[in-house]
Amino acid sequence: MKKKLDYYGLFKPKSNWQKLFMIMKISAFLLFCCLVNIFAGPTYSQSTKISLNLKDATIEDVLNKIEDVSEFYFLFNQKLIDVNQKVNIEADKEPIKDILDHIFKNEGINFVVYDRQIILTPSDVSSLSAALQQLKITGTVTDENGKPLPGATIQIEGTAVGVLSDVNGKYSIDIKNVNAVLVFSFVGFDTQRVSVSGRTTIDLQMLPNSRQLEEVVVVGYGQQKKRDVTGATSSIRADVIASRPITRVDQALQGTTPGVSVTSNSGQPGQGVSVRIRGINSITGSNDPLYVIDGYVGGNIDAVTPDDIESIEILKDASSTAIYGSRGSNGVVMITTKRGAEGKLKVDFSTWGSAASMPRYLSLMNALQFATVKNELKPGSFSDASISSFQTNPGTDWQKEVTRTAYVQNYQLTLSGGTADVKYLVAGGYLDQPGIMINSDYKRADVRINLDVKASDKLDFKFNVNGFQGTSHNTSYSGDLYDPLPLAVTWDPTSPVKDNNGAYIYHSAFGNDQINPVAQAMNQSADGLMNDYTTTGMLNYKIIKALTFTSTASIQSQYQRNPSVYNKYTAAGFGNSDNATVINNRNMVFQNSNYFTYNNTFGDHAITLTALYEQQSYVHTGVTARSNNLSSYNNGYYNLGLGAAQITTSEYTADQLQSYMGRLNYSYKGKYLLTASVRDDGSSHLTTKYSVFPSVALGWVISKENFLNDSKAISNLKIRASWGKTGNQSVGAYSTIPGIGVNSPYAYISGAVVSTPLQSAVAQNLKWETTTQYDAGLDATFLKGRLTFTVDWYSKKVSDLLYNVNNDSYYGGGTHTANVGSLSNKGIEFTLGGTPVSTNAVKWNTFITLSFNSNKILDLGGNDNIQINGVGQQQTGLSLLKVGQPLGEFYGYTFIGTWKTSEAAQAATYGLKPGDAKFLDIDNSGKYDAGDVGPIGNALPKYTFGFTNDISFANFSLSFMFQGMQGNKIYSTLFPSMYGNSGDARDATSSDVLNMWTAANETNFPVVSSTSNRINSSRYVFDASFIKLKNISLTFSVPNKLIKSYMSKLEVYVSGQNVFCITPYKGYDPETTTAAATGASAQGVSIQGLETGSIPNPRTYTVGLRATF
Amino acid sequence: MKTKYFIILFSLALVSLFGCQKLTEEPKAKITPVTYFQSQQDLDGAVAAMYECYAHDYGYGFTSRMDAMFGSDDLATHYLSNKRPQRLFDQLNSNPTEDGVTQGWSPFWTGIYQANNVLVNYSKVPTTDDLKNAAAAQAYFLRAWAYYMLVRTYGPVPISIGAADLTKKLPRAAVADVYAQIVSDLNQAITTFPSGYAIAPDKANPLAAQALLADVYLTMTGWPINDATNYATAAAAANVVIQANKYTLVPDYLTMFSLNNHSESIWALQFNKGNGTAQRGYGQSSIVDDEVGIDGSSGWDDFFPEVNFFKAAPKCTRTDETFVTTIKLRNSDGVTYNLVPWNSSLTDVRHPEYKKFRYGLGVPGAGDGCTETATQIITMNASTNKTNDIIRYPMVLLDYAEASAMAAGAPTAASYSAINIVRARAGEQPLTEGLSATAFRDSVVFERAYEFCGENGMRWFDICRLQLLPTIVAARTTDFQDPRPIENPIPTVILSHLGDRYLAPIPQADMFLNPQWTQNAGY
Repeated sequence: MKKKLDYYGLFKPKSNWQKLFMIMKISAFLLFCCLVNIFAGPTYSQSTKISLNLKDATIEDVLNKIEDVSEFYFLFNQKLIDVNQKVNIEADKEPIKDILDHIFKNEGINFVVYDRQIILTPSDVSSLSAALQQLKITGTVTDENGKPLPGATIQIEGTAVGVLSDVNGKYSIDIKNVNAVLVFSFVGFDTQRVSVSGRTTIDLQMLPNSRQLEEVVVVGYGQQKKRDVTGATSSIRADVIASRPITRVDQALQGTTPGVSVTSNSGQPGQGVSVRIRGINSITGSNDPLYVIDGYVGGNIDAVTPDDIESIEILKDASSTAIYGSRGSNGVVMITTKRGAEGKLKVDFSTWGSAASMPRYLSLMNALQFATVKNELKPGSFSDASISSFQTNPGTDWQKEVTRTAYVQNYQLTLSGGTADVKYLVAGGYLDQPGIMINSDYKRADVRINLDVKASDKLDFKFNVNGFQGTSHNTSYSGDLYDPLPLAVTWDPTSPVKDNNGAYIYHSAFGNDQINPVAQAMNQSADGLMNDYTTTGMLNYKIIKALTFTSTASIQSQYQRNPSVYNKYTAAGFGNSDNATVINNRNMVFQNSNYFTYNNTFGDHAITLTALYEQQSYVHTGVTARSNNLSSYNNGYYNLGLGAAQITTSEYTADQLQSYMGRLNYSYKGKYLLTASVRDDGSSHLTTKYSVFPSVALGWVISKENFLNDSKAISNLKIRASWGKTGNQSVGAYSTIPGIGVNSPYAYISGAVVSTPLQSAVAQNLKWETTTQYDAGLDATFLKGRLTFTVDWYSKKVSDLLYNVNNDSYYGGGTHTANVGSLSNKGIEFTLGGTPVSTNAVKWNTFITLSFNSNKILDLGGNDNIQINGVGQQQTGLSLLKVGQPLGEFYGYTFIGTWKTSEAAQAATYGLKPGDAKFLDIDNSGKYDAGDVGPIGNALPKYTFGFTNDISFANFSLSFMFQGMQGNKIYSTLFPSMYGNSGDARDATSSDVLNMWTAANETNFPVVSSTSNRINSSRYVFDASFIKLKNISLTFSVPNKLIKSYMSKLEVYVSGQNVFCITPYKGYDPETTTAAATGASAQGVSIQGLETGSIPNPRTYTVGLRATF
Repeated sequence: MKTKYFIILFSLALVSLFGCQKLTEEPKAKITPVTYFQSQQDLDGAVAAMYECYAHDYGYGFTSRMDAMFGSDDLATHYLSNKRPQRLFDQLNSNPTEDGVTQGWSPFWTGIYQANNVLVNYSKVPTTDDLKNAAAAQAYFLRAWAYYMLVRTYGPVPISIGAADLTKKLPRAAVADVYAQIVSDLNQAITTFPSGYAIAPDKANPLAAQALLADVYLTMTGWPINDATNYATAAAAANVVIQANKYTLVPDYLTMFSLNNHSESIWALQFNKGNGTAQRGYGQSSIVDDEVGIDGSSGWDDFFPEVNFFKAAPKCTRTDETFVTTIKLRNSDGVTYNLVPWNSSLTDVRHPEYKKFRYGLGVPGAGDGCTETATQIITMNASTNKTNDIIRYPMVLLDYAEASAMAAGAPTAASYSAINIVRARAGEQPLTEGLSATAFRDSVVFERAYEFCGENGMRWFDICRLQLLPTIVAARTTDFQDPRPIENPIPTVILSHLGDRYLAPIPQADMFLNPQWTQNAGY
């Protein structure tokens, strides 16, 4: 496309007023120039040197040549400038100014260089202007930051007459009517109408569109205009992230993105959240999305601080994720970090402090109630004297003993700026986050350096360095019943924490068989240190105008140290010995991506072709040293040599991935869009190394069709459809190689000999899990962005489902990984955004996301019933994988109340008596057995939603977000423990027990007994639907005039997180469930909705400020 | 222009340099069968693995080893608390989905898998024939023992004696075929042990194999094989051990339980906390939870005898040394104790405790289990280094006594002599002379009940082979006083089907994996 245009603006002949459409084109073009300006700045013209050698060439040829070898654009009116004059030019690396001086010195042409934009005018312009004198209005058009806005259209309403603002944002327009109305417009900005009312000077500040249609989004290996995207993607911008005091990037996805379900497994600081894009796809493999951080595939989300993020793109359908092939199955989260902008040093500082506390406490019996109930069940347990002492002494509130209000602080300092050629951003952050559990805290510090270098017109480089250090202390409680919090709710309230000498009372005859929860929490140090350094270099070379070569290389180096020491009065010291362990792990990842991008337009056809070669290698090495029976506990884990017995192990894992990818983006008239891609991934994990992942997507921008072109209501309407395949790399390294393990030494009389057992039998011929996904979607924007709507329907089928199939016991048990079957996820997701109120005084933006997903197991390769064992303590076979049922279905007995006195005889056939729990005897066998076990609830929500609002008025803005789920169930093992006799819990502690069955009051709460507490039963399945006020914040922007001399922006805010939660669930937090099954036979299955004592998400109140200098 | 090409070429060079990414796997930290079995050390490691798999909580390191045997009268458990797996068997009311049913199942299959690994590979190790044979013989023995435990607990089980072939499902073999395999493996072991193989209780050995063979044959005389011809073979095998003159009884019964690898240990599983193979089946697990040490440590109440089993015990020093009848309840001062009889309503379960498992290793009363004086409990732990005797010499003596008497149609002098050695150490008078074969057998079975009570299900398997459940259940107290029954009640629907209760159910997970199998009757 020619950059040189006929140009009617400042220097137009009157006869061309009517050609307004041309002006529109030019304004679009000027916008582009303006963008270029933003990126490059005025120094481009000074720094660029051009070599030319042309003889007897027309000026037009010369200008063309200059445009080819540089980024300069010429703007002139061919009617005024004669470009057919011949000139000679010989220049060797001369500035553009010198060259132009030479060309135009005798031609009666003036030129103005504004960065890359060169405007040519006839020398004798004054005579022209004089003729234009009528009623002249002049003024300056500026953008939202007060900077001049060149190229804005100023039109007289009701006429075709209009002008453009010049490079300084200045304009001048002649009107014939003093009451005329001027219409100021610019693509990307809201159009404004201003009546002249007799003024001769009208300055105007333009404000950006609330929804920018020309938004550019990051897609894998490139960028695309949002309107050209054919896949199902969602974006989150920095301002959305900044509006909440989040500590982790993945929290930003919560409630803001349709189809993405984000739940925290634990309210412990520094702990990850579970991000599920469009349902659960894998039984044993990871269900986490792939994180791509500034082009680095598989980056560490923990290492990126939320403040550093410019934008997050969530790729959901196969068309957008298939370019990541064997890693794209769970969706892709692409993170782009902030970069420096040209200009003076800009300093951003933000800080916040918050107070975090338990969102609720469970209702437990006080000492008097506890002792009274205990005496009913076992007379004489508490003497009358102690009972009467509990009249005044409520006993120990263990929940409060193990928790606290935690004061969190966060600081972030970002310095950025640069010249046209070198731009920098240097950021540092620090977070100090004590946990709401006693003796737990997390700290993180990180540094980021993002550098952009323009080496020449054709070559630029980017460098990103991100260093991260996280240290944790007791923040990795697994949510098991041995943890302090679940112990606290099953402990005996009549027992004090410490005796009169200040020593812990470790055991209690009542409540729980374990160790005092406070002592448990205080007597351990399970620490963590994670260092992560990721360096990415990117080279961009423009081979010819349409063809770019990009090469990136990333090196990630992780060092992880997990030292721990437990004294004997902890669950981990259960063998009555203290022990210390140090785990040192190192991970090194190298990624190299090289791709060509060809981008060209042929008439109405626009094509982008991408061809990629990528490789990645990963090496993990680790050493674990453990020492038992320390002779000096005080040395902790610093001297493992003090242990009487020591065990050392080490490990090594390496894998390699090699990939080829090709992609075509085709657009016809910007209306009909096609994206097709294919990726071929070779992996070291599989016996058949290579797998191919194709995709195709179509889009139709209906709003560009003639019949909608002029619609005032519909600004944008696009329908999309896609199909593709992606993989899930859930096969571990060496899965097809049988192994010999190293177990404990066997203690022969003559001395111990290390035992090296044959490990579980393995299967051959493993394949990736492959997801085939169909997606159909619609994007609509109404009323110039006041209302936006997106809907997507999808259907995913995951085949070759990997599962760690139980080996037959007679083949040694254990499991082998096999491709056993398939499952499906179908869903529909909606986003509705709007600006219900937009006046100068008040602006209200609102945003609703709503997602439905249903999951179903289609095939298990003949293993129709797969029991998932080892879920927490004593939870055998709580979950069953069954064809036709969703994942996360709980199986157990159906609780139907209590046996009543009138049913005593019938109860006896079951070995039970009145007051005992009654279950459904499905097979009518007269006893409760395997035939009575059935589905009793499902952990998967029917739908999830988020509701975000931003209201700004004067200098205040209020934002709040609700988030929730509906229809999800939780199986809580906390309640059986609190109801007595489950696991190591003995006596009931819950105040629900006060409503226990008695002969006089035959309630449906069974008498505390072993038979009543049959734990795999629907009695402990709870509806965990919830609506949470996830965040509410009120921000005050200090008016500019108050701070002008010190800073350019100052905002202070107060906010609250998890302020309230509406839920029928009786546990701590419907959001926190244990992530995975534990124990030897858990088979790595991610269990949904099982709650074994996770620490809830705290309720947090925050004060903070953000300042820019 | 030149730079342009240079950069392109350089980049392409980079691509081609890295372009040949190798996709082969090198599991540097993983020992694979390809690189294994190439030295005596490798063989030793594989042999150690056959034992080590039992030296854990889920093997023989905790009460769970006996879960499926709680239908016996020498084993009872708490009516509440976290003893569900044991309690359900105590009530003869477990079912395939319960945790407890796998406890007697999985460890033995693991052991068989490791034994098969040795038997498939031992011959390729470049070492001496004696060392190879020693490894193979131990594997035969351990495989036989594992099958013996499985067939008695679960009835028909698949015979898996080679390398695993995941593509092939195995049927449940007839019980007789399983016994044939066991006998074959034991005979194979006996003939494969090299001459000069050191006989010590930490390893399988020829005498242990003979002793086990005697017990296997004796079991085969009863249910479900019911082949009386095995009495003679049982007696013969037992006699080999007796004639070897290798074993003598430890003079004091209680002291014997605080010793590792003593003079009557024929084969014992070894434990060592420091090595990560802790034993937790002694000490706290057999102490009632009413008993609390001065330091706050308390009993776990996992197992104790049924009340009427205790009441029927012969009056002798062994009985005194077997049971604790005085419970020490800590007073509220935390230091002094209220001594109450075992059936005091101040105690939770109102049962006597096992004294013989109370002290673990070391001097009774000051060992690593419970440390106590006559009036105080100082502290209690789970014992951690105590061996678990699987075969003690009295088993051989009593097997011989019963088998020789039944084979001959009447007890011989040698039959009497064998049982009287055991009775003498127990502090009992010699057995009445002139008993009939069956009366003599019943005396031996009674003797075994109290000599071996609480030990790894010895009593339960006698109940099974002799089909004693109706008697046992009838003898059980029916004092189901609410809300604290003395014994865990057996559902009435089960009382009419006791014949189904000699076998545990096949774990549901394995039933799901093997849809061609039929579950044991009654489950």
